[in-house]
Amino acid sequence: MRLRNKKGQLHLTETIAVLFIFFVLIVFGLIFYFKYQQYSLKEEQEQLVISNAIRTTSKVLFLPELQCSKGAAEPEDNCIDLMKVRHVAEVFDRHLTDYYYPIFGYSKIVINQIYPEQKEWVIYDHPKPIYANETIIPLESTYFTLTLKDESLGGENIHYSFGYIQVGVYP
Amino acid sequence: MIRSKKAQVEVTFNWVYILIAGAVILLFFAGIIVKQKVASEESLDQEVIRIMENIFTAAQVSENTKTTIDISGLRDYTLYFSCEEGVSKYGLSGKSLPVEDSINPIFAPNEIKATQLLTWSVPYKLPFKVIDFLFVTSTTNKYVLWGNNEISAGFIHSVSNVSAANDKSKINFNVVQVQDLAEIQPAQNVQIRIIDGEGRIKEGDPILPLLMERMKNIPDKSLTAVSFQGGGSSRIANFFVKEKEVWKKLNKEPIRIVSLGGDNDAALYGAIFSGDDQIYICNMKKSFTRLGYLNEVYGGEELTAGKEGGKLREMIAYYKNRPELTLTSECLNYITLNPQDNLQTSLQSHQNKVAECLTRFTAKELPPECIGLVDSALKVKTANDNLAERGDCITLY
Repeated sequence: MRLRNKKGQLHLTETIAVLFIFFVLIVFGLIFYFKYQQYSLKEEQEQLVISNAIRTTSKVLFLPELQCSKGAAEPEDNCIDLMKVRHVAEVFDRHLTDYYYPIFGYSKIVINQIYPEQKEWVIYDHPKPIYANETIIPLESTYFTLTLKDESLGGENIHYSFGYIQVGVYP
Repeated sequence: MIRSKKAQVEVTFNWVYILIAGAVILLFFAGIIVKQKVASEESLDQEVIRIMENIFTAAQVSENTKTTIDISGLRDYTLYFSCEEGVSKYGLSGKSLPVEDSINPIFAPNEIKATQLLTWSVPYKLPFKVIDFLFVTSTTNKYVLWGNNEISAGFIHSVSNVSAANDKSKINFNVVQVQDLAEIQPAQNVQIRIIDGEGRIKEGDPILPLLMERMKNIPDKSLTAVSFQGGGSSRIANFFVKEKEVWKKLNKEPIRIVSLGGDNDAALYGAIFSGDDQIYICNMKKSFTRLGYLNEVYGGEELTAGKEGGKLREMIAYYKNRPELTLTSECLNYITLNPQDNLQTSLQSHQNKVAECLTRFTAKELPPECIGLVDSALKVKTANDNLAERGDCITLY
Protein backbone atom coordinates (compact mmCIF):
# COMPACT_ATOMS: atom_id res chain seq x y z
CA MET A 1 0.00 0.00 0.00
CA ARG A 2 2.78 2.41 0.94
CA LEU A 3 4.68 1.42 -2.24
CA ARG A 4 1.61 2.18 -4.43
CA ASN A 5 1.13 5.50 -2.67
CA LYS A 6 4.73 6.49 -3.31
CA LYS A 7 4.38 5.47 -6.97
CA GLY A 8 1.25 7.62 -7.24
CA GLN A 9 3.02 10.59 -5.66
CA LEU A 10 5.96 10.19 -8.04
CA HIS A 11 3.58 10.10 -11.00
CA LEU A 12 1.81 13.25 -9.80
CA THR A 13 5.10 15.11 -9.31
CA GLU A 14 6.14 14.10 -12.79
CA THR A 15 2.88 15.41 -14.28
CA ILE A 16 3.23 18.69 -12.37
CA ALA A 17 6.84 19.05 -13.58
CA VAL A 18 5.76 18.45 -17.18
CA LEU A 19 2.95 20.98 -16.82
CA PHE A 20 5.30 23.48 -15.20
CA ILE A 21 7.82 23.19 -18.01
CA PHE A 22 5.03 23.41 -20.55
CA PHE A 23 3.67 26.63 -19.03
CA VAL A 24 7.18 28.07 -18.67
CA LEU A 25 7.66 27.48 -22.39
CA ILE A 26 4.30 29.08 -23.17
CA VAL A 27 5.17 32.12 -21.03
CA PHE A 28 8.56 32.41 -22.74
CA GLY A 29 6.84 32.19 -26.09
CA LEU A 30 4.34 34.88 -25.15
CA ILE A 31 7.02 37.19 -23.77
CA PHE A 32 9.05 36.77 -26.95
CA TYR A 33 5.97 37.37 -29.09
CA PHE A 34 4.89 40.53 -27.26
CA LYS A 35 8.44 41.91 -27.18
CA TYR A 36 8.68 41.34 -30.92
CA GLN A 37 5.29 43.00 -31.43
CA GLN A 38 6.39 45.97 -29.31
CA TYR A 39 9.59 46.31 -31.29
CA SER A 40 7.87 46.11 -34.67
CA LEU A 41 5.23 48.62 -33.51
CA LYS A 42 7.96 51.04 -32.49
CA GLU A 43 9.71 50.54 -35.81
CA GLU A 44 6.44 51.10 -37.66
CA GLN A 45 5.85 54.30 -35.70
CA GLU A 46 9.33 55.54 -36.61
CA GLN A 47 8.65 54.71 -40.26
CA LEU A 48 5.38 56.64 -40.08
CA VAL A 49 7.11 59.70 -38.60
CA ILE A 50 9.77 59.61 -41.33
CA SER A 51 7.22 59.15 -44.09
CA ASN A 52 5.16 61.96 -42.57
CA ALA A 53 8.21 64.24 -42.57
CA ILE A 54 8.92 63.46 -46.24
CA ARG A 55 5.27 63.96 -47.18
CA THR A 56 5.14 67.30 -45.35
CA THR A 57 8.38 68.42 -47.04
CA SER A 58 7.03 67.69 -50.51
CA LYS A 59 3.84 69.55 -49.70
CA VAL A 60 5.77 72.58 -48.41
CA LEU A 61 8.05 72.74 -51.45
CA PHE A 62 5.09 73.08 -53.78
CA LEU A 63 2.92 75.40 -51.70
CA PRO A 64 1.57 78.26 -53.81
CA GLU A 65 1.81 80.35 -50.63
CA LEU A 66 5.61 80.11 -50.89
CA GLN A 67 6.58 79.26 -54.47
CA CYS A 68 8.28 81.74 -56.79
CA SER A 69 6.05 82.46 -59.74
CA LYS A 70 6.20 84.66 -62.78
CA GLY A 71 2.77 85.34 -64.24
CA ALA A 72 1.31 82.46 -66.22
CA ALA A 73 4.68 80.69 -66.51
CA GLU A 74 5.42 77.51 -64.59
CA PRO A 75 6.63 78.18 -61.03
CA GLU A 76 10.39 78.23 -60.55
CA ASP A 77 11.60 74.88 -59.20
CA ASN A 78 12.87 74.76 -55.61
CA CYS A 79 12.48 78.50 -55.25
CA ILE A 80 10.72 80.36 -52.47
CA ASP A 81 9.54 83.94 -52.62
CA LEU A 82 10.71 85.77 -49.50
CA MET A 83 8.19 88.56 -50.05
CA LYS A 84 5.52 85.93 -49.38
CA VAL A 85 7.49 84.12 -46.67
CA ARG A 86 7.54 87.21 -44.46
CA HIS A 87 3.74 87.20 -44.31
CA VAL A 88 2.82 83.56 -44.61
CA ALA A 89 3.37 82.74 -40.93
CA GLU A 90 0.53 85.11 -39.96
CA VAL A 91 -1.81 83.43 -42.43
CA PHE A 92 -0.81 79.93 -41.28
CA ASP A 93 -1.32 80.99 -37.68
CA ARG A 94 -4.68 82.63 -38.32
CA HIS A 95 -6.07 79.57 -40.07
CA LEU A 96 -4.15 76.94 -38.17
CA THR A 97 -6.92 74.77 -36.80
CA ASP A 98 -9.38 75.14 -39.65
CA TYR A 99 -6.97 74.72 -42.53
CA TYR A 100 -3.21 74.42 -42.17
CA TYR A 101 -3.02 71.89 -39.33
CA PRO A 102 -4.38 69.10 -41.59
CA ILE A 103 -1.62 69.93 -44.09
CA PHE A 104 1.39 70.19 -41.78
CA GLY A 105 0.20 68.43 -38.62
CA TYR A 106 2.48 68.57 -35.62
CA SER A 107 5.56 70.03 -37.22
CA LYS A 108 7.95 72.92 -37.41
CA ILE A 109 8.88 74.52 -40.72
CA VAL A 110 11.86 76.82 -40.86
CA ILE A 111 13.32 78.56 -43.89
CA ASN A 112 17.01 79.29 -43.48
CA GLN A 113 19.04 81.64 -45.62
CA ILE A 114 22.74 80.80 -45.51
CA TYR A 115 24.19 83.01 -48.23
CA PRO A 116 24.89 85.96 -48.53
CA GLU A 117 23.87 86.33 -44.90
CA GLN A 118 22.33 84.02 -42.35
CA LYS A 119 18.67 84.51 -41.56
CA GLU A 120 15.80 82.28 -40.57
CA TRP A 121 12.04 82.43 -40.73
CA VAL A 122 9.89 80.07 -38.70
CA ILE A 123 6.78 79.91 -40.79
CA TYR A 124 4.96 77.16 -38.90
CA ASP A 125 5.43 75.65 -35.48
CA HIS A 126 2.81 73.47 -33.89
CA PRO A 127 4.19 71.02 -31.31
CA LYS A 128 2.13 68.26 -29.77
CA PRO A 129 0.37 69.35 -26.56
CA ILE A 130 2.37 66.73 -24.61
CA TYR A 131 5.48 68.88 -25.16
CA ALA A 132 3.86 71.98 -23.64
CA ASN A 133 6.19 72.04 -20.63
CA GLU A 134 9.29 70.68 -22.36
CA THR A 135 12.27 72.86 -23.16
CA ILE A 136 13.94 70.46 -25.58
CA ILE A 137 11.46 68.93 -28.00
CA PRO A 138 12.54 66.07 -30.28
CA LEU A 139 12.13 66.67 -34.02
CA GLU A 140 12.41 64.29 -36.96
CA SER A 141 13.76 66.69 -39.57
CA THR A 142 14.27 66.62 -43.31
CA TYR A 143 16.22 69.28 -45.18
CA PHE A 144 16.00 70.56 -48.71
CA THR A 145 18.15 73.16 -50.43
CA LEU A 146 16.41 76.16 -51.92
CA THR A 147 16.82 79.31 -53.90
CA LEU A 148 15.32 82.28 -52.11
CA LYS A 149 14.01 85.11 -54.23
CA ASP A 150 13.58 88.59 -52.81
CA GLU A 151 12.58 91.23 -55.33
CA SER A 152 12.52 93.94 -52.68
CA LEU A 153 16.31 93.81 -52.25
CA GLY A 154 17.74 93.89 -55.66
CA GLY A 155 17.27 97.42 -56.94
CA GLU A 156 16.13 96.93 -60.50
CA ASN A 157 17.41 93.35 -60.60
CA ILE A 158 15.87 90.36 -58.87
CA HIS A 159 17.86 89.32 -55.84
CA TYR A 160 18.43 85.62 -55.26
CA SER A 161 20.00 84.03 -52.20
CA PHE A 162 20.73 80.49 -51.15
CA GLY A 163 19.30 78.52 -48.25
CA TYR A 164 17.43 75.48 -47.14
CA ILE A 165 14.14 74.47 -45.68
CA GLN A 166 13.93 72.37 -42.55
CA VAL A 167 10.73 70.46 -42.03
CA GLY A 168 10.66 68.85 -38.62
CA VAL A 169 7.90 66.52 -37.50
CA TYR A 170 7.18 66.14 -33.79
CA PRO A 171 7.20 62.39 -33.06
CA MET B 1 -8.33 -9.22 -12.46
CA ILE B 2 -9.13 -6.16 -10.41
CA ARG B 3 -5.65 -4.79 -11.03
CA SER B 4 -6.07 -5.27 -14.82
CA LYS B 5 -9.26 -3.20 -14.81
CA LYS B 6 -7.51 -0.49 -12.79
CA ALA B 7 -4.68 -0.41 -15.30
CA GLN B 8 -7.15 -0.11 -18.17
CA VAL B 9 -8.80 2.89 -16.45
CA GLU B 10 -5.41 4.50 -15.88
CA VAL B 11 -4.34 4.05 -19.52
CA THR B 12 -7.69 5.39 -20.83
CA PHE B 13 -7.47 8.34 -18.43
CA ASN B 14 -3.97 9.15 -19.67
CA TRP B 15 -5.12 9.15 -23.27
CA VAL B 16 -8.15 11.33 -22.49
CA TYR B 17 -5.87 13.67 -20.59
CA ILE B 18 -3.44 13.83 -23.51
CA LEU B 19 -6.28 14.40 -25.98
CA ILE B 20 -7.79 17.23 -23.94
CA ALA B 21 -4.40 18.87 -23.35
CA GLY B 22 -3.58 18.48 -27.06
CA ALA B 23 -6.90 20.00 -28.08
CA VAL B 24 -6.40 22.93 -25.71
CA ILE B 25 -2.90 23.57 -27.06
CA LEU B 26 -4.15 23.24 -30.62
CA LEU B 27 -7.02 25.64 -29.94
CA PHE B 28 -4.64 28.11 -28.33
CA PHE B 29 -2.38 28.20 -31.36
CA ALA B 30 -5.30 28.16 -33.77
CA GLY B 31 -6.68 31.20 -31.92
CA ILE B 32 -3.37 33.01 -32.27
CA ILE B 33 -3.23 32.19 -35.99
CA VAL B 34 -6.79 33.42 -36.59
CA LYS B 35 -6.09 36.61 -34.64
CA GLN B 36 -2.89 37.16 -36.56
CA LYS B 37 -4.67 36.62 -39.86
CA VAL B 38 -7.33 39.22 -39.00
CA ALA B 39 -4.66 41.64 -37.74
CA SER B 40 -2.51 41.24 -40.83
CA GLU B 41 -5.53 41.71 -43.13
CA GLU B 42 -6.42 44.90 -41.27
CA SER B 43 -2.84 46.03 -41.39
CA LEU B 44 -2.73 45.30 -45.13
CA ASP B 45 -5.86 47.42 -45.67
CA GLN B 46 -4.33 50.25 -43.69
CA GLU B 47 -1.04 49.88 -45.53
CA VAL B 48 -2.85 50.07 -48.88
CA ILE B 49 -4.71 53.19 -47.74
CA ARG B 50 -1.49 54.77 -46.46
CA ILE B 51 0.29 54.02 -49.72
CA MET B 52 -2.64 55.48 -51.66
CA GLU B 53 -2.43 58.61 -49.54
CA ASN B 54 1.30 58.90 -50.25
CA ILE B 55 0.77 58.30 -53.97
CA PHE B 56 -1.92 60.95 -54.15
CA THR B 57 0.21 63.44 -52.23
CA ALA B 58 3.14 62.83 -54.55
CA ALA B 59 0.93 62.97 -57.64
CA GLN B 60 -0.71 66.17 -56.50
CA VAL B 61 2.43 68.14 -55.82
CA SER B 62 3.98 67.23 -59.17
CA GLU B 63 2.34 69.89 -61.27
CA ASN B 64 1.09 68.98 -64.74
CA THR B 65 2.12 65.37 -64.37
CA LYS B 66 0.37 62.21 -65.36
CA THR B 67 1.21 59.01 -63.53
CA THR B 68 0.30 55.38 -63.97
CA ILE B 69 0.11 53.29 -60.81
CA ASP B 70 -0.01 49.53 -60.96
CA ILE B 71 -2.71 48.31 -58.61
CA SER B 72 -3.00 44.78 -59.96
CA GLY B 73 -2.68 43.54 -56.38
CA LEU B 74 -6.01 45.23 -55.66
CA ARG B 75 -7.82 43.85 -58.68
CA ASP B 76 -10.41 42.15 -56.45
CA TYR B 77 -11.13 45.31 -54.50
CA THR B 78 -13.17 48.35 -55.40
CA LEU B 79 -11.75 51.77 -54.63
CA TYR B 80 -14.39 54.32 -53.79
CA PHE B 81 -14.28 58.11 -53.79
CA SER B 82 -16.73 60.62 -52.39
CA CYS B 83 -16.77 64.21 -51.20
CA GLU B 84 -19.29 65.58 -48.73
CA GLU B 85 -19.32 68.67 -46.55
CA GLY B 86 -15.93 69.72 -47.86
CA VAL B 87 -14.22 66.43 -47.03
CA SER B 88 -13.06 63.93 -49.65
CA LYS B 89 -13.08 60.30 -48.63
CA TYR B 90 -11.46 57.42 -50.43
CA GLY B 91 -10.61 53.88 -49.56
CA LEU B 92 -11.28 50.21 -50.24
CA SER B 93 -14.96 49.43 -50.40
CA GLY B 94 -16.13 47.39 -47.40
CA LYS B 95 -12.71 47.47 -45.79
CA SER B 96 -10.93 49.71 -43.31
CA LEU B 97 -11.78 53.32 -42.55
CA PRO B 98 -11.28 55.67 -45.52
CA VAL B 99 -8.72 58.43 -45.86
CA GLU B 100 -10.29 61.83 -45.26
CA ASP B 101 -8.93 64.92 -46.98
CA SER B 102 -10.40 68.35 -46.40
CA ILE B 103 -7.66 70.23 -48.27
CA ASN B 104 -6.75 68.66 -51.60
CA PRO B 105 -9.28 68.54 -54.42
CA ILE B 106 -9.50 64.99 -55.77
CA PHE B 107 -11.76 64.57 -58.78
CA ALA B 108 -12.53 60.92 -59.38
CA PRO B 109 -15.28 58.52 -60.36
CA ASN B 110 -17.38 57.16 -57.48
CA GLU B 111 -15.80 53.75 -57.92
CA ILE B 112 -12.69 52.30 -59.55
CA LYS B 113 -12.05 48.61 -60.13
CA ALA B 114 -8.98 48.14 -62.25
CA THR B 115 -5.40 47.03 -62.40
CA GLN B 116 -4.01 50.45 -63.31
CA LEU B 117 -4.75 53.74 -61.67
CA LEU B 118 -4.15 56.93 -63.64
CA THR B 119 -3.54 60.24 -61.94
CA TRP B 120 -3.15 63.66 -63.46
CA SER B 121 -2.29 66.81 -61.61
CA VAL B 122 -3.35 70.14 -63.12
CA PRO B 123 -2.87 73.54 -61.47
CA TYR B 124 -5.99 75.61 -60.88
CA LYS B 125 -5.22 79.26 -61.54
CA LEU B 126 -7.47 82.17 -60.61
CA PRO B 127 -5.43 84.09 -61.85
CA PHE B 128 -2.43 82.90 -59.80
CA LYS B 129 -1.99 79.24 -58.93
CA VAL B 130 -4.42 78.34 -56.19
CA ILE B 131 -3.97 74.60 -55.79
CA ASP B 132 -3.27 71.50 -57.87
CA PHE B 133 -6.32 69.53 -58.88
CA LEU B 134 -5.75 65.80 -58.83
CA PHE B 135 -7.70 63.79 -61.37
CA VAL B 136 -7.88 60.10 -60.57
CA THR B 137 -9.22 57.52 -62.98
CA SER B 138 -8.33 54.09 -64.32
CA THR B 139 -7.92 52.16 -67.51
CA THR B 140 -11.40 50.67 -67.07
CA ASN B 141 -13.09 54.07 -66.85
CA LYS B 142 -13.90 55.02 -70.40
CA TYR B 143 -14.40 58.67 -71.41
CA VAL B 144 -16.51 59.14 -74.51
CA LEU B 145 -16.28 62.56 -76.15
CA TRP B 146 -19.48 63.14 -78.06
CA GLY B 147 -19.15 65.25 -81.20
CA ASN B 148 -16.61 67.65 -82.62
CA ASN B 149 -16.49 70.65 -80.38
CA GLU B 150 -14.12 72.88 -78.46
CA ILE B 151 -14.23 70.69 -75.33
CA SER B 152 -13.60 67.42 -77.20
CA ALA B 153 -10.69 68.89 -79.13
CA GLY B 154 -9.12 70.47 -76.06
CA PHE B 155 -9.52 67.37 -73.90
CA ILE B 156 -8.06 65.02 -76.50
CA HIS B 157 -5.13 67.38 -76.99
CA SER B 158 -4.54 67.58 -73.23
CA VAL B 159 -4.74 63.87 -72.45
CA SER B 160 -2.55 62.92 -75.37
CA ASN B 161 -0.01 65.64 -74.63
CA VAL B 162 1.79 63.38 -72.24
CA SER B 163 4.37 64.56 -69.79
CA ALA B 164 4.51 61.42 -67.76
CA ALA B 165 6.40 61.16 -64.51
CA ASN B 166 7.19 57.52 -65.19
CA ASP B 167 6.98 55.38 -68.29
CA LYS B 168 5.53 57.50 -71.11
CA SER B 169 4.44 54.56 -73.19
CA LYS B 170 2.16 53.27 -70.47
CA ILE B 171 0.09 56.42 -69.98
CA ASN B 172 -3.15 55.39 -71.49
CA PHE B 173 -6.22 57.42 -70.71
CA ASN B 174 -9.22 55.53 -71.95
CA VAL B 175 -10.67 58.25 -74.20
CA VAL B 176 -12.57 57.90 -77.47
CA GLN B 177 -14.36 60.41 -79.64
CA VAL B 178 -17.66 59.47 -81.28
CA GLN B 179 -20.08 61.29 -83.54
CA ASP B 180 -22.99 59.09 -82.54
CA LEU B 181 -23.62 57.45 -79.16
CA ALA B 182 -24.45 54.22 -81.02
CA GLU B 183 -20.71 53.87 -81.64
CA ILE B 184 -20.04 53.26 -77.94
CA GLN B 185 -18.78 49.77 -77.18
CA PRO B 186 -18.71 49.00 -73.44
CA ALA B 187 -16.22 46.12 -73.92
CA GLN B 188 -14.37 45.40 -70.66
CA ASN B 189 -14.91 48.85 -69.21
CA VAL B 190 -16.40 49.07 -65.75
CA GLN B 191 -17.70 52.61 -66.13
CA ILE B 192 -18.51 54.84 -69.07
CA ARG B 193 -18.65 58.64 -68.85
CA ILE B 194 -20.12 60.52 -71.81
CA ILE B 195 -18.82 64.06 -72.28
CA ASP B 196 -21.36 66.12 -74.12
CA GLY B 197 -19.74 69.39 -75.11
CA GLU B 198 -22.84 70.73 -76.83
CA GLY B 199 -25.49 70.36 -74.12
CA ARG B 200 -27.48 67.74 -76.03
CA ILE B 201 -28.34 65.48 -73.08
CA LYS B 202 -31.43 66.59 -71.15
CA GLU B 203 -33.23 65.36 -68.06
CA GLY B 204 -35.57 62.47 -68.89
CA ASP B 205 -34.16 61.98 -72.39
CA PRO B 206 -34.36 58.30 -73.42
CA ILE B 207 -31.07 56.48 -73.75
CA LEU B 208 -30.43 55.14 -77.22
CA PRO B 209 -31.98 51.61 -77.48
CA LEU B 210 -28.84 50.22 -79.14
CA LEU B 211 -26.72 51.57 -76.27
CA MET B 212 -29.24 50.19 -73.77
CA GLU B 213 -28.90 46.77 -75.38
CA ARG B 214 -25.09 46.93 -75.15
CA MET B 215 -25.21 48.18 -71.58
CA LYS B 216 -27.75 45.62 -70.33
CA ASN B 217 -25.19 43.80 -68.17
CA ILE B 218 -23.79 46.98 -66.66
CA PRO B 219 -25.43 48.58 -63.62
CA ASP B 220 -27.21 51.92 -64.11
CA LYS B 221 -24.67 53.90 -62.07
CA SER B 222 -21.90 52.82 -64.42
CA LEU B 223 -23.20 54.91 -67.30
CA THR B 224 -22.91 58.61 -66.50
CA ALA B 225 -22.69 61.82 -68.48
CA VAL B 226 -21.60 65.39 -68.05
CA SER B 227 -23.15 67.90 -70.37
CA PHE B 228 -21.70 71.36 -70.94
CA GLN B 229 -23.50 74.40 -72.29
CA GLY B 230 -22.16 77.84 -73.19
CA GLY B 231 -18.59 78.97 -73.22
CA GLY B 232 -16.14 81.17 -71.37
CA SER B 233 -17.36 82.42 -68.01
CA SER B 234 -20.96 81.47 -68.85
CA ARG B 235 -20.18 77.77 -69.27
CA ILE B 236 -22.37 75.50 -67.16
CA ALA B 237 -22.28 71.77 -66.46
CA ASN B 238 -25.02 69.25 -65.71
CA PHE B 239 -24.37 65.77 -64.38
CA PHE B 240 -26.47 62.77 -65.45
CA VAL B 241 -26.72 59.11 -64.58
CA LYS B 242 -28.58 56.32 -66.36
CA GLU B 243 -31.83 55.45 -64.60
CA LYS B 244 -33.48 52.48 -66.27
CA GLU B 245 -34.02 53.78 -69.82
CA VAL B 246 -33.61 57.52 -69.35
CA TRP B 247 -31.07 60.11 -68.24
CA LYS B 248 -31.55 61.38 -64.68
CA LYS B 249 -30.08 64.78 -63.85
CA LEU B 250 -28.17 64.78 -60.57
CA ASN B 251 -27.76 68.50 -59.89
CA LYS B 252 -30.80 70.73 -59.25
CA GLU B 253 -29.24 73.96 -60.50
CA PRO B 254 -26.77 74.17 -63.39
CA ILE B 255 -23.19 74.19 -62.12
CA ARG B 256 -21.09 77.13 -63.29
CA ILE B 257 -17.53 76.44 -64.34
CA VAL B 258 -15.39 79.02 -62.55
CA SER B 259 -12.41 79.16 -64.86
CA LEU B 260 -10.25 81.51 -66.87
CA GLY B 261 -10.14 78.95 -69.71
CA GLY B 262 -6.99 78.21 -71.67
CA ASP B 263 -5.15 74.92 -72.13
CA ASN B 264 -5.54 72.28 -69.45
CA ASP B 265 -8.60 73.98 -68.00
CA ALA B 266 -8.55 72.47 -64.50
CA ALA B 267 -12.09 73.50 -63.50
CA LEU B 268 -13.55 72.12 -66.74
CA TYR B 269 -11.62 68.85 -66.59
CA GLY B 270 -12.56 68.51 -62.93
CA ALA B 271 -16.19 68.18 -64.06
CA ILE B 272 -15.20 65.53 -66.62
CA PHE B 273 -13.41 63.40 -64.04
CA SER B 274 -15.93 63.88 -61.19
CA GLY B 275 -18.18 60.90 -60.60
CA ASP B 276 -21.11 63.16 -59.73
CA ASP B 277 -22.09 66.75 -59.01
CA GLN B 278 -21.28 66.45 -55.28
CA ILE B 279 -17.66 65.45 -55.88
CA TYR B 280 -17.28 68.46 -58.19
CA ILE B 281 -18.99 71.06 -55.99
CA CYS B 282 -17.30 69.89 -52.81
CA ASN B 283 -13.83 69.99 -54.38
CA MET B 284 -14.41 73.41 -55.93
CA LYS B 285 -15.31 74.72 -52.50
CA LYS B 286 -11.94 73.51 -51.21
CA SER B 287 -10.16 75.51 -53.91
CA PHE B 288 -12.14 78.71 -53.22
CA THR B 289 -11.29 78.42 -49.54
CA ARG B 290 -7.60 78.15 -50.43
CA LEU B 291 -7.95 81.11 -52.80
CA GLY B 292 -9.12 83.24 -49.86
CA TYR B 293 -6.02 82.33 -47.84
CA LEU B 294 -3.71 83.01 -50.80
CA ASN B 295 -5.29 86.41 -51.22
CA GLU B 296 -4.35 87.06 -47.59
CA VAL B 297 -0.72 86.15 -48.31
CA TYR B 298 -0.72 88.50 -51.29
CA GLY B 299 -2.82 91.32 -49.89
CA GLY B 300 -3.07 90.89 -46.12
CA GLU B 301 -5.87 90.09 -43.70
CA GLU B 302 -7.49 93.50 -43.86
CA LEU B 303 -7.47 93.75 -47.61
CA THR B 304 -11.27 93.79 -47.76
CA ALA B 305 -11.27 96.83 -45.48
CA GLY B 306 -9.00 98.66 -47.94
CA LYS B 307 -5.84 98.26 -45.84
CA GLU B 308 -3.03 96.62 -47.75
CA GLY B 309 -0.82 93.96 -46.19
CA GLY B 310 1.17 90.90 -47.24
CA LYS B 311 3.30 91.02 -50.36
CA LEU B 312 1.33 93.97 -51.71
CA ARG B 313 2.40 96.17 -48.77
CA GLU B 314 6.05 95.27 -49.40
CA MET B 315 5.68 96.16 -53.08
CA ILE B 316 4.20 99.56 -52.23
CA ALA B 317 6.84 100.21 -49.55
CA TYR B 318 9.62 99.22 -51.96
CA TYR B 319 8.68 101.86 -54.53
CA LYS B 320 7.73 104.54 -52.00
CA ASN B 321 11.12 104.18 -50.32
CA ARG B 322 12.98 104.39 -53.62
CA PRO B 323 11.82 107.53 -55.41
CA GLU B 324 15.12 107.61 -57.28
CA LEU B 325 14.24 104.53 -59.35
CA THR B 326 13.19 105.43 -62.86
CA LEU B 327 10.22 103.09 -62.78
CA THR B 328 8.89 104.07 -59.37
CA SER B 329 6.04 106.34 -60.38
CA GLU B 330 4.86 104.08 -63.17
CA CYS B 331 4.98 101.00 -60.96
CA LEU B 332 3.15 102.75 -58.14
CA ASN B 333 0.48 103.76 -60.61
CA TYR B 334 -0.13 100.16 -61.59
CA ILE B 335 0.00 98.97 -57.99
CA THR B 336 -2.10 101.50 -56.18
CA LEU B 337 -2.42 104.99 -57.67
CA ASN B 338 -4.36 104.43 -60.88
CA PRO B 339 -7.93 105.47 -60.18
CA GLN B 340 -9.34 102.23 -61.50
CA ASP B 341 -8.23 98.64 -61.84
CA ASN B 342 -4.97 99.03 -60.00
CA LEU B 343 -3.56 95.94 -58.35
CA GLN B 344 -4.73 96.85 -54.88
CA THR B 345 -8.37 97.49 -55.78
CA SER B 346 -8.45 94.45 -58.05
CA LEU B 347 -7.10 92.19 -55.31
CA GLN B 348 -9.51 93.72 -52.81
CA SER B 349 -12.43 93.07 -55.13
CA HIS B 350 -11.15 89.51 -55.70
CA GLN B 351 -11.09 88.84 -51.97
CA ASN B 352 -14.60 90.31 -51.59
CA LYS B 353 -15.83 87.95 -54.30
CA VAL B 354 -14.24 84.97 -52.53
CA ALA B 355 -16.01 85.91 -49.31
CA GLU B 356 -19.31 86.37 -51.14
CA CYS B 357 -18.94 83.01 -52.92
CA LEU B 358 -18.04 81.09 -49.76
CA THR B 359 -20.78 82.70 -47.66
CA ARG B 360 -23.45 81.52 -50.06
CA PHE B 361 -21.95 78.10 -50.65
CA THR B 362 -24.13 75.20 -49.60
CA ALA B 363 -23.21 71.54 -49.43
CA LYS B 364 -25.29 70.80 -52.52
CA GLU B 365 -24.91 73.87 -54.71
CA LEU B 366 -22.20 76.03 -56.18
CA PRO B 367 -23.74 79.53 -55.84
CA PRO B 368 -23.99 81.79 -58.93
CA GLU B 369 -22.04 84.44 -56.96
CA CYS B 370 -18.88 82.37 -57.43
CA ILE B 371 -18.83 83.17 -61.13
CA GLY B 372 -17.92 86.73 -60.11
CA LEU B 373 -14.49 85.32 -59.30
CA VAL B 374 -13.73 85.07 -63.02
CA ASP B 375 -14.10 88.82 -63.59
CA SER B 376 -12.21 89.76 -60.44
CA ALA B 377 -9.43 87.29 -61.32
CA LEU B 378 -9.17 88.80 -64.80
CA LYS B 379 -8.75 92.27 -63.28
CA VAL B 380 -5.95 91.02 -61.00
CA LYS B 381 -4.37 89.39 -64.03
CA THR B 382 -4.55 92.58 -66.09
CA ALA B 383 -3.01 94.61 -63.25
CA ASN B 384 -0.24 92.04 -62.82
CA ASP B 385 0.40 91.89 -66.57
CA ASN B 386 0.63 95.70 -66.63
CA LEU B 387 3.27 95.55 -63.92
CA ALA B 388 5.26 92.89 -65.74
CA GLU B 389 4.94 93.88 -69.38
CA ARG B 390 4.38 97.63 -69.40
CA GLY B 391 6.11 98.69 -66.23
CA ASP B 392 8.84 96.07 -65.77
CA CYS B 393 7.97 96.31 -62.08
CA ILE B 394 7.84 93.76 -59.25
CA THR B 395 4.82 91.59 -59.90
CA LEU B 396 2.36 90.19 -57.40
CA TYR B 397 2.65 86.64 -58.73
